Amino acid sequence: MVRFLLALACKNLLRYKRRTVITSVAIAVGLALFIIIDSILIGVNEDSVRNIRWHETSSVRIMHADYWKDRLLMPLEVHISDVQEKIGLLGEHGLTATPRITFSAQMILHAEDFGEDGNLPVVVTAVDPRTDNSVFRFEETLIDGRFATSGSNELVMGSWLAQDIRAKVGHWVSLVARGNGGFFEAMDMQIVGIVNCPNPNVNRSLIMVPIDTVGIYLDMEDLATEIDVALPASADPDEAASRIPGILGNGEQALAVMTWRELSSEYLAVIGMERKSSSIILFLVFLIAAVGISNTMIMAINERTRELGMMRALGMPDPLIQVLFIIESGGIGLLGSISGTVLGSVANIFLVRNGIDFGFLMRMNDFGYRVQGIFRGAWSVQSLATTFAAGVVLSMLVAWIPTRRAINKDIPACLRHQ
Amino acid sequence: MKRRIIMSILFALITIASLSAITAEEIVRKMDETETFATSYSEGAIITTDRFGVKTSTFKAWSRGAYDSLIEFTSVAERGQKVLRTSGELYLFYPDAQELIRLQGAALRQSMLGSDISYEDMTGEKDTLAQYDVKLLRQERVGERNCHVLQFDAKTRTVAYPMQVVWVDTETYMVWKGEFSTKTGRLLKEMLVLETMVVDGRTLPKVTRIADKMKRDSATEMRLDRLEIDVNLDPAIFSLQNLTW
Repeated sequence: MVRFLLALACKNLLRYKRRTVITSVAIAVGLALFIIIDSILIGVNEDSVRNIRWHETSSVRIMHADYWKDRLLMPLEVHISDVQEKIGLLGEHGLTATPRITFSAQMILHAEDFGEDGNLPVVVTAVDPRTDNSVFRFEETLIDGRFATSGSNELVMGSWLAQDIRAKVGHWVSLVARGNGGFFEAMDMQIVGIVNCPNPNVNRSLIMVPIDTVGIYLDMEDLATEIDVALPASADPDEAASRIPGILGNGEQALAVMTWRELSSEYLAVIGMERKSSSIILFLVFLIAAVGISNTMIMAINERTRELGMMRALGMPDPLIQVLFIIESGGIGLLGSISGTVLGSVANIFLVRNGIDFGFLMRMNDFGYRVQGIFRGAWSVQSLATTFAAGVVLSMLVAWIPTRRAINKDIPACLRHQ
Repeated sequence: MKRRIIMSILFALITIASLSAITAEEIVRKMDETETFATSYSEGAIITTDRFGVKTSTFKAWSRGAYDSLIEFTSVAERGQKVLRTSGELYLFYPDAQELIRLQGAALRQSMLGSDISYEDMTGEKDTLAQYDVKLLRQERVGERNCHVLQFDAKTRTVAYPMQVVWVDTETYMVWKGEFSTKTGRLLKEMLVLETMVVDGRTLPKVTRIADKMKRDSATEMRLDRLEIDVNLDPAIFSLQNLTW
């Protein structure tokens, strides 16, 4: 019986070629769009997460227990002490770590270099030039000059910030900041390098200076606001975070250890919301395709009501007729799903290899994503399989209602149908 | 005989000189006393000038002793905003949001209304000797007035300016001029009294100009239009309940 139904459904699909093709194309376009948008969303999220770990948070961060709640004020008084000893202990357990001091400052621009005097509030990151690149990945982002050397009054800047203030390698700026305790200090710094960081949040505002220089100016020698730890991509940050307090021991200082997921929880929450809203858009794309299928099926069933009456008059049971129409609809869905998946996959090859450059949008706006310009796609077998299956199943589901309605009519009414 | 007379005159001069000599600490105490009132009420304005133009914010202020003060802004843009300082604590009230914010730690260092004055400058405690070592450098004239020139070196890291040089009037003990520097001596801010007024026998600043020496074309002028001292104030003025009314 199944064989008979399948054969009949295939015959019907071939009999109404134009209808079959048009409906399949509608499904294929909808599914291909779904695959493309989903691929970009997955790809941009993967790139963002990688850029967060490489340029913002590292894998795991150690801070003073009270620092996180006041982090927006960047208080130097809430710091980690005996930093080198702690980094040594982490190193003994195979963990690569680097200290950083983050502080707010007024950056004073001088007319001699910048053409006019000016000032702007900035966030400065003091890094250890010897170890920072073993935890963060700024080495390959340098586009002009060089990195600052230990103990020097040298500064490295993000390229977007440099463009905004027309800074060039060799220019001097002054940083006015509050030291550990609250005293004012002024530091003259020469720009020696410009980096083009793929993370737009960093590239828009990055200012890096040597930690030992800042330590002297701001009374932060052997102190840091954070110790950042690098882990291989395959390592579990939660496991490392739970191990670190044991390594550092129960010192006088209460420390907090946070993974990149906790540190970027705001980003992850925003992206979670964006994924939900994107899913709604994707669902709407799918719904449009479903309405197309449904409409076509209603027309097909209306056209074939007399045929349906004939089949019933010849004794074909109603459930079998309904199954036949659902199989036909599934056949259209299958054709659409195959062509949609192929079409989406071909487009995705280009997206994964080359991506689409949204740099013009990201330069002026902050969408939350940590990708500077090129949005690349990503392969997701699960997503392709789900899309394929959904195309077939949805097509079968939408055929159920019009078939049911036609079957509810009596046989003479079906045969008299014009 | 002649020698005895000379010796007597010398002794007398030394005695007079030692009686009239005043130490740096005494000058500072008198300076702090001049600036501290049992209670006070004032009205005035903060005029901020930067590269974008001039902005005027008017205020009313009440103070009690060295630690309690309340400032209420009356200019249109900030009307109803209040800053309350009680011993060790500072609160901001924003009427539009009906929100009370407690500032502490690093938050006290934020600029008030975009001026060159921070919240801690505005409401800072006035016990200079507890925070600074003081040294009398010389005497110098500021305009028409004779001044003691004092250098303050911070005892702790918790003060904003590790080094200060101030010019204190030898008669009225009012500060005419101040230079505020980093510990390496880099000048950050300069304060100059442009006009004075006499209230209850005390000479006090009427118009004070504070210039940020790191930023060109940036200055803040503080003008007192009215000042009453030792007035009767309701203690409830300095309460949190009053702040939200």
